[in-house]
Parts: sequence; C-alpha cells; structure tokens
Amino acid sequence: MTTLLEVKGLKTYFFTEEGVVQAVNGISYKLDKGELLAIVGESGCGKSVGVMSLIRLIPQPPGKIVAGEVLFEGRDLLQMSDDEIRQVRGNRIAMIFQDPMTSLNPVLTIGFQIMEALQLHLGMDKEQARKRAIELLEMVGIPGAEKRLDDYPHQFSGGMRQRVMIAMGLSCNPQLLIADEPTTALDVTIQAQIVDLVKGLREKIGMAIIWITHDLGVVAGIADRVIVMYAGKIVEEAEVHDLYANPHHPYTLGLLKSIPRLDQGHDEKLIPIEGLPPDLVDLPPGCPFAPRCSYRVDRCTEEDPPTDYVTPLHRVACWRWEDVIADQSKNGGQRV
Amino acid sequence: MLQFVIRRIIWTIPVLLLVTFFTFALVRAIPGGPFDFAGDKSLPPAVVKNLEAKYHLNDPMWMQFCSYLIGDAICRPEGSEEGVSSKGVLLGDLGPSFRYRGRTVNDIISTALPISMQLGFLAMLLGIGIGIPAGIIAALKHNTPLDYSATFIAILGVSISNVVLGPFLIWVFALKLGWFPVATWKAEPLFSNIAQQYIAAGEPVPMWVNLIPKPTFDFFHHAVLPVVTLGTGLSAVLARLTRGSLLQVIREDYIRTARAKGLRERAVIVRHALKNSLIPVVTILGPMFAGVLTGTFVVEQIFAIPGLGRHFVTSVGNRDYPVVLGTTLLYAVAIVIANMLVDITYAWLDPRVRLE
Ligand SMILES: Nc1ncnc2c1ncn2[C@@H]1O[C@H](COP(=O)(O)OP(=O)(O)OP(=O)(O)O)[C@@H](O)[C@H]1O
Ligand SMILES: [Mg+2]
Repeated sequence: MTTLLEVKGLKTYFFTEEGVVQAVNGISYKLDKGELLAIVGESGCGKSVGVMSLIRLIPQPPGKIVAGEVLFEGRDLLQMSDDEIRQVRGNRIAMIFQDPMTSLNPVLTIGFQIMEALQLHLGMDKEQARKRAIELLEMVGIPGAEKRLDDYPHQFSGGMRQRVMIAMGLSCNPQLLIADEPTTALDVTIQAQIVDLVKGLREKIGMAIIWITHDLGVVAGIADRVIVMYAGKIVEEAEVHDLYANPHHPYTLGLLKSIPRLDQGHDEKLIPIEGLPPDLVDLPPGCPFAPRCSYRVDRCTEEDPPTDYVTPLHRVACWRWEDVIADQSKNGGQRV
Repeated sequence: MLQFVIRRIIWTIPVLLLVTFFTFALVRAIPGGPFDFAGDKSLPPAVVKNLEAKYHLNDPMWMQFCSYLIGDAICRPEGSEEGVSSKGVLLGDLGPSFRYRGRTVNDIISTALPISMQLGFLAMLLGIGIGIPAGIIAALKHNTPLDYSATFIAILGVSISNVVLGPFLIWVFALKLGWFPVATWKAEPLFSNIAQQYIAAGEPVPMWVNLIPKPTFDFFHHAVLPVVTLGTGLSAVLARLTRGSLLQVIREDYIRTARAKGLRERAVIVRHALKNSLIPVVTILGPMFAGVLTGTFVVEQIFAIPGLGRHFVTSVGNRDYPVVLGTTLLYAVAIVIANMLVDITYAWLDPRVRLE
C-alpha cells in the first residue's frame, strides 16, 4: 500500500479571550490510498478541527495551526500558497459535513452548487458540467436527477441533501473524502442508507475516506482502521477488529461499553463514561483522561503517557494499558 | 406573481379604510378646530360659523366621514351645492384644504410630492450606494482598522441628527467655502414642453410631469447639501445592517462548504454570501423608501425645500383635517406599495419564499 496522507505532530489552537484552546494537540497518523479511517471521540475532542486543519479550513483568527506537517501526495499542505491549497480543496480532497440542512446554500440550486466545482477544477463548460452533475446525482441514488438539478435545497429531505453533499464531494474524483459526522443529523434508517451508499461508492471509485463519528457502532462495519481521540490527542489507534476485540485504553473501553452491541446478550448493560471532558484551555499536566479514569494512579496526573506500539498497527497512549488487557482477559470480558 | 399583486391590493383596501377611519376620528378628537385663529389673530365667531358651514363641519360625524369617502353628492343629498363639495377619496378627490384658501389637497400633493420624491430618491441612491458597499467592506475586513473606522463613522452617522448635520454642512460648504447654495430646490420638469401645454391650456400640470427633473447643473448644485444630509443617516443605517448581516452569513455552514470546494474568497462572498445577507437589508429598504420619498420634515425645513414633509407636521397644528388625512393616506399607500415590492424582492432573493 502506498501512503496517501501523513499527518505529523499537528497542533491547532484557538486564541480566544478565555485563553488558548488547545483543540488539536499534536496528532500524527498515516492514511493509505483507498483506506477508510474512522476517527471517534466525544463531542469537542477536536475531531472536526483536526480534519479541517488538513485543508486549512480553520477560521483564522481565532484559529491557528501552530505546528505540524500534512503530507499529501508528497507535498506539505500547510506550506502551500493559498492558490495551491484551493486547487486541492474540492478537487483532490473533498469534505462533507455533519448537518446537510445547513451545509447547502439555500438560495442556489443544487445543480449550480454541484456544477461550480466541476467548472472550477475540471475546466468543464456549463453543458459538460450539467451532464456530469446528472450522472453524479444518479450515482448517489437521487431519482429524477435531471429534473432535480434545478431544485433548491429546501425541496429535499435531510437524507437526500446528504446525498447531494456526497455527490458534490465526489464530483472531481477526489483521492480523499473527509466525512465529518455525515450521518449524525439523520435518523437511524437514513443513517444506514448513507453508510451503505458510501460503502458502495468507495468500492466503485476507490478513494480513501476519513470518517468522523462519535459513535463507534456506525463505523464498525466499514472502517479499516480506527483512531480514538480524547482532548485533542490520539489515545489509541488500531485496525477495526483489533480495537473492538482488544481495547487497550480505558477510554476506548468506556466508549465500547457505552454502545449497544448486537453480538452481546441483552443482559449486558450500557455504561456511560462518567464525568466530562476537560476544558481545553487549561489542560493540567499528565493524561487528559486521568480525572475520569478508573485505572488512574499518581503517575497519570503527573506525566504525559508515551505512545506505545503494542503491535506495528496498534498503538496506545496509557501508562497502564497492560493492566487494562490483563483485567479484560481475567474477567473473560474479551470481546470478539 | 400577478395573482399575488392583485391579492395584495385587495387586502390593502380594508387596511386603508381602517387607516382613514382612525385618522379621521383622531384628528377631530384633538381639541381646537381649523378656524380658531388666522395668523396671530383669532377670527370673529360669525366668520368661524360661516367657515364651518362652508366646509360642512357642523354635519353629523357619520355624514362627514361618508362624504369624505364617497363624496358629497351621495352622502349629503340636500345642500350639497352650498359650500365646498368633494367627489370623495374613492374617486381620488382628497377634498379642499381648510387653511390654504382655494387649494385642494390634491393640488398641494401634486406640487409638493414630486420635490420630496426627488430629494428622497437621490438620498436613497446615496444611502444604498455608500451604505451597502461600506457594510460589505467592513464585514470582509472584520476586526481590522478599516472595519473599526467604518463602524465608527456609521455609528456617528446614525447618531448625528439631521438637525445638526444640515446646518453644519450649510455653514461649512455654503457659508464658509461657498461651494453650494445655502438652500432651496431648483427642479424643472424634464418634459417642460408637456408642462407648457398644460399651462397654456390653463389646466393644472399633472404630477408625473413634475416628477422627473431636468438634470441641469442648477438642479444638482442645489441638491447636493440636502441629499447628503438626508443620505448620510440612511447610508449609516444600511452599512450597519449590511455588515451585521454579512458577518452572520459568513459563519453559516454553507459558506464553509463553499470554501471546502476550493472557491476563491471573492466567489465565496459574491456567489454564496451576498444574496443571503441582503435579505434583512431589503426588509428595511421598503419602509425606508416609503418614509423618505413622502418627504422629511427636518431636512425640507432646514433647506427651505417646498416638499410634502412640512405638510405632515403643520397640517396637524393647523387642524387642517383634509391635509392630515390626505398625507397620512398617501404615506399608508406608500408603505403598502413598498412592502409589496419588498415581498417580491424576497421571492427573488430567497427561493424558500413563494408568492402564494
Ligand atoms: N472557532 C472556534 N473558536 C474557539 N474554539 C473553537 C472554535 N472551533 C472549535 N473550537 C474548540 O475546539 C475544540 C474542538 O472542537 P471540534 O469541533 O473539533 O470538536 P469535535 O470533536 O468535532 O466535536 P463534535 O463531535 O461536537 O463535532 C472544542 O473544544 C471547541 O470549543
Ligand atoms: Mg465536529
């Protein structure tokens, strides 16, 4: 596999009146061509800021990418000129967002909004762009595509709008599609349809995907790899089956216990993680999860845990991950 | 669309009737009458009595209202030949003025309104032409010195009253520098030959002929100071509104979507933000237009411009009932038309609004 994207030590801070919000605090990861990477974590842990930083969509000020490299197809996106990064956006890297109700411009037809990128990046004329837009709408399963091109967003349901967003994202055949919680705002049946759609499109087109969610259940079926984020840091990364079977970080364990699982008996209770994520302005030293962690020892609140590679494909940032595993096999709680 | 306009016009009728009724009742409820004094002197009671009889002010109230609406001929079958008679508002006859002997309210409006409309229109042009671009620039340069100075000037413009700004401009640009005339309005009708024909035939010149001025140097020379006085406040209001609205739109999710597409910042603003941000601005433009075009008392007074603005004010003091009613109705009609245009503009700006 060839590496498509490599993020090294990315830090994005917001300089606000309350202080410096350390939204993304030194994250590193790799993504191969055609791979689907899921990023999970609670609300506010920096998932969106982390991926928006990749194509420099952070509102600036107050935001600023203070450190790091984002190597995409061999070039550092953070060093590019404004013109160059614009040619990457919507073209090589496309992004779709959480709320399809507000992410489309209400006063422009969806045809216009899809064709815009085609004309900009692929140099198509109106005629060609229109044809391609119809193809795209058909591809994402919108019936009567030709007629619907001249409709406005309010004439579509939420699920249909997210399909439009996906069509727009895929319009220029991107190498990487970033989907920031694309199903969170939709109801459950529609969620499943969208997940299936993306799964199918990925097989057809072969782009890599970064799929953000705060629901581990959603990505279980489609992700290759999962990154778990907490308070602006990566606390665990593993291949999807490995992560579900052998969570090494207490936070990951907590996340898994808080979602319903079909393969578990009904007697298994859902346990929410207690407490709240920390304030990202005044991060205390040590592991940010420590205050909520049942494995906490003194060291946790004093020193940042290093990132340990349990296997080449499984890493965790926790002082006590060995105890976490030991406990699990002891309790027979090993999840397969 | 046509249906929408027709339906709106039909809906307007009861509104205007109510406006007429309440104005009619309220202005008569003010203590005092139209003939309490003439100049400094009070009139002899006998004269007052005669005048009141002449204008049918002693008739029962319902009869007065009825004949104001549909004319003396119908509501006052006997004695309609005596005194002054009117065909009624419904036929467009606003009746005689009580204080301007021998002039009808229609006369007063058709000579004064074109002047007010010229002044108001130019001021609106200035207000829109400066206010909206200034607001956009301030929003795009948010939190930069440019934004701060634009905002500061706008707040200044909003808070400085025309009572202060007008005389100040006169003092600087007319008295000290001598660049512009101190006061008055100089407008000749563009279609002066048509006006001449009416005058030659001894008929009153219709209002539309007076409406469009000949674009002479004299016209603009006289217009500059009053237009700037009136337009400054308008542009300040519009600048503030445009800035606020655009700043809000720029934070919307679909703007982020547009950026994520790789559009240039200019395309993001022009194609994706501007139209949305103008929706609240259009809302205020309607009533603003209506208010400014029907005359502004302060500016017309300061620059001695014989527009309609002063009639709104003086007619109440004079208890000149027909003029009060006529100007109020005119204003109501202007508001109604303006709001209709606003709604049509809405439908054009925002596809979610349908004219049905
Ligand atoms: N414009 C901003 N100004 C200040 N702080 C910000 C701004 N945008 C984001 N943040 C902060 O950055 C942190 C990370 O936000 P982010 O949107 O990435 O969270 P998230 O993981 O995507 O959460 P969610 O699941 O709710 O989308 C949050 O604590 C948030 O308060
Ligand atoms: Mg988010």
